[in-house]
Amino acid sequence: MRYGGDNRGRLLLIVLIVTSLFLITLDLRGVKVIDGVRTGTQTALTPVQKAGSWVVSPFRTFLSDVTHLGRTRNQIEKLKADNDALRLALLNRKVADAELAQLKSVLDLAGKGEFKVVGAKVISQGSTTSFTQTITIDAGSKSGIRSNMTVISGFGLVGVVKIAYENSAVVQLASDPAFRVGARIAGSQEIGILSGQGTRKGVLQLLNNTTDVKVGDAILARGSNNGRPFVPGVPIGEVTAVDNSAGAVTQTADVKFYANFSALGVVAVVVSSPSTDPRDSLVPAKPRPTPIPTVTVTATPSASPASNG
Amino acid sequence: MISRRFFFSFPIFFSVYLLQEGFVTQMRLPVGGFSLILIFTLAWASMSTPEIGAVTGFGAGLLMDLSETAPGPLGHWTLVLILISFTVSFLSYGDDHARANPLSIVFLVVVGVVGAQIAFALLGLLLGQALGNIVQVLFICLGTAFWSAIVTPLILPIISRLHALVFGTASRI
Repeated sequence: MRYGGDNRGRLLLIVLIVTSLFLITLDLRGVKVIDGVRTGTQTALTPVQKAGSWVVSPFRTFLSDVTHLGRTRNQIEKLKADNDALRLALLNRKVADAELAQLKSVLDLAGKGEFKVVGAKVISQGSTTSFTQTITIDAGSKSGIRSNMTVISGFGLVGVVKIAYENSAVVQLASDPAFRVGARIAGSQEIGILSGQGTRKGVLQLLNNTTDVKVGDAILARGSNNGRPFVPGVPIGEVTAVDNSAGAVTQTADVKFYANFSALGVVAVVVSSPSTDPRDSLVPAKPRPTPIPTVTVTATPSASPASNG
Repeated sequence: MISRRFFFSFPIFFSVYLLQEGFVTQMRLPVGGFSLILIFTLAWASMSTPEIGAVTGFGAGLLMDLSETAPGPLGHWTLVLILISFTVSFLSYGDDHARANPLSIVFLVVVGVVGAQIAFALLGLLLGQALGNIVQVLFICLGTAFWSAIVTPLILPIISRLHALVFGTASRI
């Protein structure tokens, strides 16, 4: 038999509907009590929801993995690609930072020596199979670079421009066995000829056999007419060993180049030499030894057991 | 008698509400998932008289309105569930064929769930609530119907036993 309803049932239904409408009205009018009830319920429910979340999380993860299988794979691929791009960006950033530091130091040196320079990036290292040591830079005759111009880095002499093309130039490194530069010792101003040896070490042949050369002496470029191929005052390296063989016609010394030829990123080509010789002003400051802290331990004898007892 | 029924019913519905808020909503099921309390209420109402159905709808709707996820004002779900629960119990009460057949109850519950959602959406529109894309609303309604059709037969025996415990064994399916 289907329910036909009665007055009591209808009245109850009407009362319930009116009550719900009353609640809606109160809530829409912003009665604080209603908000308080909701907030209180939510506060009470929060621990249950936290517990539920913890319990359900394995199921949720599984379900998410199943439903997003295709999307997850795509997302992984996308993230991998993003990761690679970010790694590359980071690497580029590191390279850029290193180049910036090199550029800053080379500009510092050029500024100190009042050299007019053209900055350039090293774009390739010459092949050593032909026993030459060269680099190629990304600036050429369009930038005012000509052959026989001094090339410096932030540490000192790098080499000399051998051939200048329109947009690039080949630089003969100071370490090249065929490289020769007129040099002088900072301070004593004794002169000699420094030649490359194929390594980071060069040999200085002094013209005066009685010159007193010491290990640690700074060697600078003597300079050429009109600053080509070498501008004066450019630091080259420092003496690491002196050969004072008796009976030798000339005195020689081993010189370690300041520039690190294997880590050249940015160099500068001196396109105009200063009007005055900078003399010894470009000699790099000697590194100060880092003080090693010493700890003194003093042993204090403890009181004898006899005195304690 | 009424107070005894309420005394038993309230903890049952409150537990279902806690289950819904604490666990079911956390599952984040696809295509909208299901509302345990909605299914429970409508199944409960389908086994009850229209008056009990309406009161059940009132209580359950009030609980649903207290949920943080309820977008409407307090009383929104209450009004909807009063009407839907009353309708469901009105349709099933007195029809022994319907009440004795679990499939009929499942059907009533699923239709009731969809009806409740549509009524909720319509009332929400009247109250100025933003519902979004109509296709999305329909998609969620269909998804909820799908989940309800799966879940209702699974929990119907439990609801039936609990209902029998509160209202007497005569109502047990």
